[in-house]
Amino acid sequence: MATTTTVVLPGDRIPASSLPKPAHKKKPLTLGPGLRHTPPETITSTIAGSLETDHKKNAAWIDFNSGRYLPAAGDLIIATVHTSAGEAFNCLLTPNTATATLPHLSFEGATRKTRPQLPPNSLVYTRVVNAGKHSAPELTCVDPSTGKSEGLGPLKGGMVFAVSLGMARRLLAGRKGGVAVLEVLGGKVGFEITVGRNGVLHVDGGSVKVTLAVGRAVQEVDELALGEKAQRKLAEKVLRSL
Amino acid sequence: MAPETELSNLHRADGSATYTHHGYSIIGAVNGPIEVPRRDELPEEATIEVNVRPAAGVGSPKDRQLETLVHNTLRSIILTRSIPRTLVQITLQIRSLPEEAASTGVNPSIAILPHLLHTSLLALLSASIPLSTILTSVLVAIPAAHTQPSTPLLSPTANDLVRAKSIKSVHVFAFSGDKKLLLNESDGVFSYEEWEEACEMAEEACCREKGGVGLAEGMDVDGQSRNLEEWLREVVKEKVAYEQRWKTAT
Amino acid sequence: MPREADISVNERAFIQQALHENIRLDGRAFDAFRPLDLIFGDEYGVADVKLGKTRVIARISVDVTVPAPERKFDGVFQIVTEFSPMASPAFEIGRPTDAEVILSRILEKAIRRSNALDTESLCIIAGLKCFALRADVHIIDHDGGLIDASCIAVMAALQHFRRPDVLVEGEKARILSVREREPIPLSILHQPLCVSFSYFEEGEVFLVDANLAEEQVRQGEIIVTMNRHGEVCQVAKYGGATMDPLALLNCTNVALQKVKDMSKFIQRKLEEDAKKRDAGGLMAELSAENAR
Repeated sequence: MATTTTVVLPGDRIPASSLPKPAHKKKPLTLGPGLRHTPPETITSTIAGSLETDHKKNAAWIDFNSGRYLPAAGDLIIATVHTSAGEAFNCLLTPNTATATLPHLSFEGATRKTRPQLPPNSLVYTRVVNAGKHSAPELTCVDPSTGKSEGLGPLKGGMVFAVSLGMARRLLAGRKGGVAVLEVLGGKVGFEITVGRNGVLHVDGGSVKVTLAVGRAVQEVDELALGEKAQRKLAEKVLRSL
Repeated sequence: MAPETELSNLHRADGSATYTHHGYSIIGAVNGPIEVPRRDELPEEATIEVNVRPAAGVGSPKDRQLETLVHNTLRSIILTRSIPRTLVQITLQIRSLPEEAASTGVNPSIAILPHLLHTSLLALLSASIPLSTILTSVLVAIPAAHTQPSTPLLSPTANDLVRAKSIKSVHVFAFSGDKKLLLNESDGVFSYEEWEEACEMAEEACCREKGGVGLAEGMDVDGQSRNLEEWLREVVKEKVAYEQRWKTAT
Repeated sequence: MPREADISVNERAFIQQALHENIRLDGRAFDAFRPLDLIFGDEYGVADVKLGKTRVIARISVDVTVPAPERKFDGVFQIVTEFSPMASPAFEIGRPTDAEVILSRILEKAIRRSNALDTESLCIIAGLKCFALRADVHIIDHDGGLIDASCIAVMAALQHFRRPDVLVEGEKARILSVREREPIPLSILHQPLCVSFSYFEEGEVFLVDANLAEEQVRQGEIIVTMNRHGEVCQVAKYGGATMDPLALLNCTNVALQKVKDMSKFIQRKLEEDAKKRDAGGLMAELSAENAR
């Protein structure tokens, strides 16, 4: 974790000294969200946030936690089916955006005869295949190398909760994200949780009470930015109420 | 006195800001990038929609003019080509105007313009819409020669304008982060020299000196000790600190 | 056309299941409002209402016009609601959605036609001059319950507003500025407030102050407007499902309690605001002088 955060504004030039120093000379520099390369070698930021770098991966990006979700290839998201057209479902990643396509055949074991039937407004856990700015994002529910679903597919039952994009990233980052509340809760009650990069959290705890308690606990951790100690306290309070 | 701001305070909009300065209070909200209606779709760039809504009454041609000015200025700083075929929707709701606003004798749409620009920029920052640079803007009023003092007033309050009685001309300047003039709106009678003086004064108030600390101390009219770009940086620093507070929480 | 995004099937089923088990998503009781907050602006007649995440600002402004020829002794009072994309991208300026039409219709019935404001007191010279009062309702943030919040905002703003005094000499009227004479409050005849009930499961379950998600799942709604004396000003029902007349009676009973609470809340906020304005008792002294 960076010791001091470098705060940047749009249009700020990132000096070479702030960029990661690659371990191998050959490895190209990767620019993440919020950075723009103007040839030959000017790098400027396009959004307001803090500059983060990863020396091992030779990558730099801007960390921010506000605004609408923008799809990027490889992201795991919870999409809402809007309509079903010909060969694909049109899905919404966030409300009021243009739809993304999810082909009928990109489900595990789907063939022309056994294509999945998804009514409008059902939820699907999918991966973004590509997200070019000039085309509609493309989604899939199978791993292209194995043909297996790897946990992706339609989400049945449960409830969705809105969390901030930063929280979704933290939940997906595992231990680095610093979310301890789920571990503590998971020790006592059983529930299933699905995190979409687009700020959607799907919880299925079997009963209304458990589902709500888990979902609301995560939302509270997000809104109040609870640290680990406070999270454990919250989890215990939630468990007592169940 | 620096403007008071509150970022991301609306829960529904993608980005929002409440801005209060010199009695002007404006709420700005940004939705985007969202789906654009067919008729407004541009194949290579994002469509920008600006709505200025007055505190009382329905929008008048004056508000339409302000919308056009804000729209044209923002179009040059939003990286519209990186989000083509989408819509960035900016709504600026004027909440209150200073009490004396009607009696200053200055074109009210010019007086409010810097505040609208700042509000929309803050809302865009809050929505994380890709921008090529930031903008800062300020109002400069030149009093008529026979009143004292005849030096231009930098970022005057409505009360200052009333006290100065006759204002010969008013100018609004907006600068980008790299000190380029983005917008100039002037109203009244003025010579080229006067305009030049006003422009220099505005640049000093808006843009940070590249080399040093860059705080001009002598120029503050109403105790405005900080330069506008520094103020903007401070606002963003607070935003980042707020978003990352979980890292240090226990 | 941009539309409010539909709620997912999972959420719909879950909310219904939860209601079946007597649980609301935010843990509220069925007949509980979300936390209500009311802030008055620096100027007279601006009320900023927060109801949970919903936020509405009402603003009263005044002008002088010629009264309508058929109503010579009445002033003009108008409530304007126009949604902007600020509250939701589904709202477009100049193209009212159903929600907007319903909101303006209900406010019209609840406040204007119930004679909450004594329009005769707005008359300056019969047939020649009168005040035109205008209430602008701005929806800032939308999470359901717009009607209840807007009604609170308009009523609070009306009670907070002060109109300039006038001096009438024969055929001539002069509007006195704030500096010349302390502006005077409007004459409010009663304070109608709206309570919306959303019903589910064929009228078996009634929710007070539904949020947006609950509004999207409900079968219909009933809006009861009454004042704190229990006088019903209007009842409106939207949505197709049938309901029991006894349930409606029950709704009015619940509404009365809510309206009483809200009236008390508004009154307390008004008093707090008056105290704040009256710093050092200077205002009292001035108004005492002006009373003569």
